[in-house]
Amino acid sequence: MALALCAGVALLLVLAHPAAAQVSFKPTAESVHEDQLLNALKEGGKITGRISIPDQMAASLIQPAGRDWRDFHRSKLPVIGGIAIIGMFVGLAIFMMVRGRIRIHDGFAGTKILRFASFERFTHWLTASCFIVLALSGLNISFGRILILPLFGAEAFSTLSAYAKFAHNYLAFPFMLGLVIMFAIWVRDNIPGKLDLEWLKQGGGLLAKGRHPPAKRFNAGQKGIFWIVIIGGSLMSLSGWFMLFPYLPANVTALQLWTVTHAVIAMLFIAAMLAHIYIGSIGMEGAFDAMAAGEVDLNWAKEHHSLWVEEEQAKGHVPSGSAPRAVPAE
Amino acid sequence: MKVFLAALLFAALAAVGVSFVLNTIQEPSSVAFTTGGARVGDPGNNLVGPG
Repeated sequence: MALALCAGVALLLVLAHPAAAQVSFKPTAESVHEDQLLNALKEGGKITGRISIPDQMAASLIQPAGRDWRDFHRSKLPVIGGIAIIGMFVGLAIFMMVRGRIRIHDGFAGTKILRFASFERFTHWLTASCFIVLALSGLNISFGRILILPLFGAEAFSTLSAYAKFAHNYLAFPFMLGLVIMFAIWVRDNIPGKLDLEWLKQGGGLLAKGRHPPAKRFNAGQKGIFWIVIIGGSLMSLSGWFMLFPYLPANVTALQLWTVTHAVIAMLFIAAMLAHIYIGSIGMEGAFDAMAAGEVDLNWAKEHHSLWVEEEQAKGHVPSGSAPRAVPAE
Repeated sequence: MKVFLAALLFAALAAVGVSFVLNTIQEPSSVAFTTGGARVGDPGNNLVGPG
């Protein structure tokens, strides 16, 4: 009886208001329209959803900038790095063939002058040794898949890359410490001055044999290397922090920006250090002694850092009467 | 040479020290980015495993 009554009421309602009988819920009414999606996927945009796991970054469903970022790392960065590093190797090889090893023009004097104290050399080698591991392990990220994987296979490459990544993360810290100490102990001698302009005008004496523009403790070339290390190293450190602690800067877009910064500066940094290593070792006779034993030949010092030698002589750190003794070049 | 070796030794020791500190203050991704219900049973290996 009750059922029949209800059915009767419903029938009356339908007859009175036919529209009320239709389903009012439209499943597509609140769905995302295509134009909304296209707008969201414009430059810098992304589509996000709701998630319940702690990593809120995982709520990003689509971020087109990520594709650009991946494309940069896989295709553009190896080209930039290849040009910078191979280009530097080629440039140094040409320079060596044309100019040859830069000899001490007046030969070895036989008298030594202290160029770098033990702590300075310790700081240099601390930073340099860390840099070499950081550079090789970093290059493995960009070039390892192309160069090392085919040689050693997936298993060995995977193990190598994992350990290289650990070394990269952990040695970054003594590298940063070295940077800070370097800055503290050498910044005073690396302030650019008018003398550096003259040194640069003369090409540092590198292009013409027997010509050595005057320089203090560090010439313009060395000052350039110092500031490349300090500024480049600081940017590498800052971007490295943001990669060690993801999303510290802001969001995934900022993180991608810092990874690109890290990678590009790394390639240029490595290329610059190749030039530094060349001129500090095989490129210039007597230069390596400065960081090896700490003492350099007096004639070498007079040719490359004449004003510094005068300062040291005035301080009594080297006998002022020790005239250079001509020794035939090797 | 002594200075060079001392620098290498210091770098290695500093790296080891940093590894302990970082491992203390950083959580593994299996903990930091998942809830208990979604954690894998063998963190460090992915869900596919060694095969």
